[in-house]
Amino acid sequence: MKVIYIEKAQWASGLEKAGDSFRLWGPVRRGQFYAFEELAGGQVPALDFRNTRLSAKGLVYPQSEKMFEYTLDPGQPDHDLLKEAQKDYSPRAVLGIRPCDADAFELVARNFDTPEYQDPYWLRAREAVTLVGLACAAPCSTCFCTSAGSGPFSTKGLDILLVDSGGNFLAQVATPKGEAFAQAAGWRQPADDAAAAEIDRQRQVAEARIDSHVATERLRQQDTLTLHAAPFWDDVAFACINCGTCTYLCPTCWCFDIQDETHGRQGVRLRNWDSCMFPLFTLHGSGHNPRGQKVQRVRQRFMHKLKYYVDKYENGIQCVGCGRCVRHCPVNIDIRKVCELMNSYTLAGDSCAVVS
Amino acid sequence: MRAYTEKIREIARRLLEACTVERVLGFRRGSVPMMNAPCFVKTPAEAANLVWDSNCGINLANYLTSRSEKIGIFAKGCDSRNIVTHIIENKIRREQLVIIGVPCHGMIDRHRIAAMADGEIREVVEDENNIIVQGDGFKKVHNRHDVLQANCAVCTHRNPVIYDELVADLVEEPGDVDRYRDVREIEALSAEGKWDFFDDLLHDCIRCYACRNACPLCYCPTCFVDESRPQWVGKSQDPVDVRTFHFLRAYHCAGRCTDCGACERACPVGINMRVFTKKLEKDCLEKFGWEAGLSLEARPPLDAYRPDDPDDFIR
Amino acid sequence: MGIEPGRLQFSWISSAEATKFVEVAQAVTETVKALGPNTHFVKHEAKVA
Ligand code: SF4
Ligand code: SF4
Ligand code: SF4
Ligand code: SF4
Repeated sequence: MKVIYIEKAQWASGLEKAGDSFRLWGPVRRGQFYAFEELAGGQVPALDFRNTRLSAKGLVYPQSEKMFEYTLDPGQPDHDLLKEAQKDYSPRAVLGIRPCDADAFELVARNFDTPEYQDPYWLRAREAVTLVGLACAAPCSTCFCTSAGSGPFSTKGLDILLVDSGGNFLAQVATPKGEAFAQAAGWRQPADDAAAAEIDRQRQVAEARIDSHVATERLRQQDTLTLHAAPFWDDVAFACINCGTCTYLCPTCWCFDIQDETHGRQGVRLRNWDSCMFPLFTLHGSGHNPRGQKVQRVRQRFMHKLKYYVDKYENGIQCVGCGRCVRHCPVNIDIRKVCELMNSYTLAGDSCAVVS
Repeated sequence: MRAYTEKIREIARRLLEACTVERVLGFRRGSVPMMNAPCFVKTPAEAANLVWDSNCGINLANYLTSRSEKIGIFAKGCDSRNIVTHIIENKIRREQLVIIGVPCHGMIDRHRIAAMADGEIREVVEDENNIIVQGDGFKKVHNRHDVLQANCAVCTHRNPVIYDELVADLVEEPGDVDRYRDVREIEALSAEGKWDFFDDLLHDCIRCYACRNACPLCYCPTCFVDESRPQWVGKSQDPVDVRTFHFLRAYHCAGRCTDCGACERACPVGINMRVFTKKLEKDCLEKFGWEAGLSLEARPPLDAYRPDDPDDFIR
Repeated sequence: MGIEPGRLQFSWISSAEATKFVEVAQAVTETVKALGPNTHFVKHEAKVA
């Protein structure tokens, strides 16, 4: 992979140049945490963060997004027509995204971009965005990306990976989109072989620092109904308050709900993030709710991420190990522990169990 | 705190062994620093998992709603007041409960401590007066009083108001606390100033409803924001909808909120939505002399008519 | 809440107090007219992405 040098002295000026052809987004400090925001001209992203509170998924897949709009006002030329909402899909670059969050875009693409169905909103926004990632030299104790198919120096989903090496960044340019961004920023000083070796050295150090490991290898072979009926769900779910924290903070949760809103003679169709933790998520028009109990909803979240997805896509778990749900669940429901339970579960007296 | 933990395990074991209760509601150690997880203990052996320290800020009364078992519950001052409110509102019966009072020294503010640390926190331990925070390459010692949850710092009901037994002697309760300085500051703003203040306050809200769901008062089978026939509130991130959720929820808590702080503690983006409930708490105190959850006998101001109602429009 | 004083009013009017009802309705209308159109808590269209 091509590696270039970016002297830190040329970081801000390069961004300013790139700003002519890209809208720039990056982490910004907001009170006690960091969030991705659009950067004003000359503003540099705050790169001293561990990770942002919310993932970057909202940049491509906003929490609330207009899909269609219409007007019934006969004075308007396009009245009584359902029109697709106008969006700004001009090129933009997200600076400082972590490798796990970038990998999450690859993961959710399996849902939004399938041979049968392509989600036009997600696809266009994804196409418009160039991801300039920042390698994680100091992963948190709650990060388990290396168990989830990603890693602190993974380039999956990224166009450029920046590795901090003191006075400069070593930038791995992974895609033509990354190449175009580097061109626009005027960063073109090629690095020598020592740079690749330095990146590799740092990667090994960072991976060794990850002390949270989760076994997932048996999930695939586990019997779905046996896991579903396992006795541990009541205990796992007891403390859960069924908020949307885990799913809304998660870069890989993709569910949404469609709403129509009418305002006078005009209206919009919106989609909003939804969460399997909410009773409303599965409420039928008849009033029946197939997941009316908390334990059913908690089980759904983990079964989806760690079993149904695993079976359907044959591509690991529906999680990149970013650790947000672990850090921010108000009652400490820890996916790492639940994954262990599911992975290691065996029916008591397994060998002679009679399946009826 | 170690003494509390030992006593708590002993009481739980005794209650379960004697079958005085079927379940005990307490806390077990969490998997990340400053996080204990509510748990339901079913056997005397499991009582050994129970802990007590300054990270028990979740309000356990929240787990009592409409339960049918006989339950032993560990209750701080605020928890006990929410238990009283639950009993008054017929969400649980007094006879179902063995309330083990936990005189409270205040819970610590995990968000603030994390923000003050020079890196990721790996371990937090405490002694009587200090909270010792450690991470890679740093160690910080905080005086407990400097890092209390905002509601605990102004709490005047540290002792449980209702209990069958206690885990320790009652603690001294500060009398002359200025509980409502923050509310007065907002009251002093102009209408436009208030509007902007709330705009900024709620800017980061993601409508995850952790604040609502952590609250023992919010037990409606279908919350007004989730109602779809009719739909009262839009479900998007539109600021008017977000604000409507917060204001209406606060009003539903009027005269019931104990300022336990569970809502603020649960919020993933650090929003102090307690300013809403505190304003109503202050009004209830000033206009009706009412503090929620102090007595099983008195009726809350919003479900009783009094000829001396302070608002003259109603007379 | 950030709503101007006067825009929101409470009154207790018995079904027998027709005159009071008229007076209050007129007073409320006048105050609100004087304040002009409401700008807060109005949603012309969802402000979202
Ligand atoms: S697991 Fe935690 S974050 Fe998720 S819904 Fe339950 S309480 Fe909320
Ligand atoms: S499930 Fe949790 S750890 Fe996994 S990607 Fe989602 S928020 Fe991160
Ligand atoms: S509104 Fe907040 S402070 Fe009041 S009782 Fe509910 S959780 Fe506690
Ligand atoms: S917990 Fe915080 S983010 Fe979630 S709905 Fe409440 S205020 Fe909003």
